[in-house]
Amino acid sequence: MSDLDRQIEQLKKCEPLKESEVKALCLKAMEILVEESNVQRVDAPVTICGDIHGQFYDMKELFKVGGDCPKTNYLFLGDFVDRGFYSVETFLLLLALKVRYPDRITLIRGNHESRQITQVYGFYDECLRKYGSVNVWRYCTDIFDYLSLSALIENKIFSVHGGLSPAISTLDQIRTIDRKQEVPHDGAMCDLLWSDPEDIVDGWGLSPRGAGFLFGGSVVTSFNHSNNIDYICRAHQLVMEGYKWMFNSQIVTVWSAPNYCYRCGNVAAILELDENLNKQFRVFDAAPQESRGTPAKKPAPDYFL
Amino acid sequence: MEVVVDDKDLKAAGAQPLPDGRRGLRIHGWEIESHKGTILKSSTFQEWEEKLDTTHLPEMVFGESGLVIKHVKTGTKIHFNAFDALGGWKKEGLPPVEVPAAAQWKFRSKPFQQVILDYDYTFTTPYDGSETIEMDTEKDGNGKILDSSSNLQWEDCEEKIDMVSLASKEPILFFDEVVLYEDELADSGVSLLTVKVRVMPSCWFLLLRFWLRVDGVLMRLRDTRMHCAFDDSASPVILRESCWRETTFQALSAKGYPTDSAAYSDPSIISQRLPVVMHRTQKLKVSGNL
Repeated sequence: MSDLDRQIEQLKKCEPLKESEVKALCLKAMEILVEESNVQRVDAPVTICGDIHGQFYDMKELFKVGGDCPKTNYLFLGDFVDRGFYSVETFLLLLALKVRYPDRITLIRGNHESRQITQVYGFYDECLRKYGSVNVWRYCTDIFDYLSLSALIENKIFSVHGGLSPAISTLDQIRTIDRKQEVPHDGAMCDLLWSDPEDIVDGWGLSPRGAGFLFGGSVVTSFNHSNNIDYICRAHQLVMEGYKWMFNSQIVTVWSAPNYCYRCGNVAAILELDENLNKQFRVFDAAPQESRGTPAKKPAPDYFL
Repeated sequence: MEVVVDDKDLKAAGAQPLPDGRRGLRIHGWEIESHKGTILKSSTFQEWEEKLDTTHLPEMVFGESGLVIKHVKTGTKIHFNAFDALGGWKKEGLPPVEVPAAAQWKFRSKPFQQVILDYDYTFTTPYDGSETIEMDTEKDGNGKILDSSSNLQWEDCEEKIDMVSLASKEPILFFDEVVLYEDELADSGVSLLTVKVRVMPSCWFLLLRFWLRVDGVLMRLRDTRMHCAFDDSASPVILRESCWRETTFQALSAKGYPTDSAAYSDPSIISQRLPVVMHRTQKLKVSGNL
C-alpha cells in the first residue's frame, strides 16, 4: 500500500496526518491544482456536493449515499472548513483523494477557503489546537489559493460556490481572473464566492451590509442564455430541505451539511447527474450520534448569571 | 444541553419532572418547560415572512423551540419564542449597519438597475419575553387563552435581582439553553437570540440574550434576566432586569482592547468591555384575581 493510500485510510478514520505529511500532501496537490482552469471542465456522470463545514462524520454519510471516490466522480463546491469540529480531517481527506484520483474529484473554492474567514470561524483555532502550531493552517490556506473558482459540466451546467457577478457576463471572463491569491474583498472573484440569488430583486441588488451582491431571475436568464448553459448549480446557503430551485429551475442551491452546526435539524442533499445529465437529488440525514466516535457530552450544570 | 439531575435533589425540593418525556419540571406551583425543534422548513419560513410582513428572516429560525414558565394556579404564563422576538425586530426597524468592506464597495462600478436593500439584517430585537394568561384547562374544559398584554402589568421598581444568592451553588434541578434564532450575517459576524434557564430549590432564574457582533464594526448585547424566589405565597413576584450594552470596534481600539473578532466569540467573557446603554428593572406580581 502506498503512503498516500495509507493516509487516505487513516483520514477516513478521522485521524489527522502528521504535520510533515500535510506539507508533502499540499505540495503534491499544488502541482495538480495549478494546472486547473478557473472554469474547470468536468465530465458526467458526476455527483455535486455543497457546503461540508468540517462535519466529517456527516461527509462519511455523504459518501455512503453517493458511493466512494473514485467509483463515483465528485464535484465539491467549496466550504470544506469552519463551523464544524473536524475541518482538518475533512479538508485533508478531500485533498488526499484529489491527489490520489485527480480526474475523479474536483474541488472548487468557497468563501471559507480564505485566511481571513478561517481565522474567525474555526479552522485556524482547530489547527492550532490539533497541531500546537499554525503551520498546517498555513499549508492549507496556501493550497486554498490554488483551488479553481468554478466548474462546467459537459458545457451545460455551470457550478460555483456563491453565484454571479456584475463584472462577469461570459465564462471567458472568469478564465482570465488571476485566482492565485487570498479572496479579495470586492471584484469578480469575490462575487463568485460570495453572492446570492434573491427573489425580491429582478436585476442586481446590494446587500444592506453595503457589500455583497444579490442577483435576480433576469440576471440568471441572461447569463445562462449567453453562455448556452442549462442551469447554475451553487451552494453557500443553508436550505432546510437540502436543495432548492429558484427562478423557474434556472439555478439550484445544494447544501450538504446535515444538522448544520449540530443543531439545525436540516437534511442535506447531493445532486447526481448521469451520463445524459439526468438529475437525481439524494437527500440524507446527519450521522447517528453513536457513529461519531465521541459520546455526546453531558454538560455540567451551568451557573450562569 | 440537558443535565442529569439527582432524583433525591428533586424530591427534597418538592419538584416533579414533567411526564411523557417533556423537558422540564413542576415546582412550588410553577411549571417550567423547554421545547427544542429544528429550523423552519421553507414553506413555514414563507408563512412567517408573510405574517411578519417582511422579505427576510434569520437563516436559522427555531420556530418550534421555546421556554414556557407557567404559574399553574393563576394561569400566568411567561414564554419565549422566535416569532414574537422577530415581531419586535420588525417593529424596532433599526437602520442597517455597514460592514468594513462597504467603504471599498462604494467605489465599485454599479450594475445597471441596482436595488439597495435596507432592512435591519442584524435582527436586533428589544424582545424581553411574552406573557399570556392561560386559564386552567381543567377548570373550563377548553383551555381558554386570553391575550393579556393589558392584564399583566410590569411595574418599574428599585429592587434588583440578588446576584449574590444566585452565585451560591445550590443544586440545579433543571437547566436548559434554547436557541430561538441565529444568523451568520453572511459570514460577517453573528446574530443570536437564546434563552437559558436554571431552576434551584429556592428559585428559578433565566437569561434571554440577544448577541450581535458585526465583524470590525460593532457589538450589541441585550440581556433580560428574570428571577422568582419560591415562597409559596399566592402571589409570587417576578423581577425582570434588562441591560443593553453596545460598543464599536473603534471604541474598543481606542481603549487598547483587542479588535480581532476571534477575541469576541463569547459574550459572557467580554460583556464588561461593552458600556451599558440601557438598564431597567421591573417587577410583576403574579396574582390570582385578574
